[in-house]
Amino acid sequence: MARFPSEAWFGAVAAVYNSDDRYQGAGGGHCNCTAGLVVTGEDESVLEDVFVLTFEGAECKGGVAADEAALDEVDFYMHMPRADWREMLEDIQHHGHATENHTLNSLDLDRDDGLSTSRHGDQYREDLFFRYNQTLQFYFDASARVKTAFA
Amino acid sequence: MTPVPDPKFDWMNQSRQWGVRVKPGKKGLTLGSLNVGIYGEIPTEWNDQTRNPRGAIPRRGMPPVGYAIREKAAVWADSAADLYEEAIQRRWAPATDVPWDTIEPLPDDVERAVCQVCTELSQYANVDIETISSWQHQMAYGYHEVKQFLATATFDAGRHYEVFRKRALYNGGGLGLEAPGEVNRMILESRGGWTEAVTYLFLLRGTYAMTILRYLERFAHNDAERFIYAHVIQDRARHMAYALDHLKYSIAHVDAQAQVLATLLFIGDRIFARELRDPVLREALAVIFGGGVAKAATTGMATWEAMMRDFMARYEAVWDWLRVPRAADRIPEEMRRFLPEAA
Repeated sequence: MARFPSEAWFGAVAAVYNSDDRYQGAGGGHCNCTAGLVVTGEDESVLEDVFVLTFEGAECKGGVAADEAALDEVDFYMHMPRADWREMLEDIQHHGHATENHTLNSLDLDRDDGLSTSRHGDQYREDLFFRYNQTLQFYFDASARVKTAFA
Repeated sequence: MTPVPDPKFDWMNQSRQWGVRVKPGKKGLTLGSLNVGIYGEIPTEWNDQTRNPRGAIPRRGMPPVGYAIREKAAVWADSAADLYEEAIQRRWAPATDVPWDTIEPLPDDVERAVCQVCTELSQYANVDIETISSWQHQMAYGYHEVKQFLATATFDAGRHYEVFRKRALYNGGGLGLEAPGEVNRMILESRGGWTEAVTYLFLLRGTYAMTILRYLERFAHNDAERFIYAHVIQDRARHMAYALDHLKYSIAHVDAQAQVLATLLFIGDRIFARELRDPVLREALAVIFGGGVAKAATTGMATWEAMMRDFMARYEAVWDWLRVPRAADRIPEEMRRFLPEAA
């Protein structure tokens, strides 16, 4: 059992993701980016947890706990309140993959402030969220096979 | 019997740089990793009019092929070689990768709307193919990274044409009404250079198409549709990456290019706005977003308007990032009303 969010949880999901060849085909494949993941409080200006996920080639290196300054460096970061992250991950646990309004793209559209953004405003780097969207989705979908506890 | 001439092997001493060795890195032996030594010298102008590969020794007496695009600023993007590799790595096959059997019968009005949207999206893809291929053969071989990336973009577009046609034909609806085609014609008939075509094909039409696809993924009826839209988004995002990189490069190296792009967008937006008046795509999307004809005029249109606001926010963010100077009063009212500052 790994607790979300924690380095152990990101590592456990990465281990599932890295060992499943299906994630490398059908529109998956090599991916090179650093993505921040931010868990906020109900007040979304309060950043409670920050992690940096690294993808290199066919591999996810896992997630490392970081401080807010790291968000200046990542290509883009995904931010949601704790309850929304939990809802997304529970949908994945229940169905084996994200469904309907729980995909990363849907969350980005549905949320007032979006899901993915950046501090640098570089459109080329921000767009990596779309260019590698299936890899990111595959990564989170892999969490269906990780027993998850929530803080 | 004709005697075999003694070999001279004169060609064996013909190399501009002997001893170059490239090795695979973490990503394999990539196209970009070949750019070492003289092979990595990418000139600002390429005056060789033949098919001579960059780094090879020209053969005297070769007739010119007539490449019209021989300036680096007219095509270049530093990311082209990496995007080429990415396109090959992340390819997918509509015939076998899409979970077609997840498609179940839909109400007739919704099925008709899906088929109409797929018809228009397949036309968008067709315009991608024709536009890119009509410019690609005019590009000099000095910039082979771009030519090769664009070959993958054409292939991507072929895949999009295929997958939308397949979705339209899968569930009993078939193809719908042809798109009005004004923007298609504008893109296809742009003659001012490849950068102009990039502006219309990727910056304007590409941003709009991406936004439509993102909403279609949000409102997908089954895993097959979700797969299709999500994967086309990825491909189109790769094309957009080339466009952003190229336009940034072009603006940095061509005098007054940002102003030229502003003028092109001023012209293009008017044609785009005129095509927005055609109700077919708007209504079909509203039926999908509303879950049927009954709610198309209410929740469906409200979602369509949200989609247009997202499109204009993104479009504006891109031209701002490129530092293309645009005044709000130079944007047609049909588009301006969706800008974030108009809310």
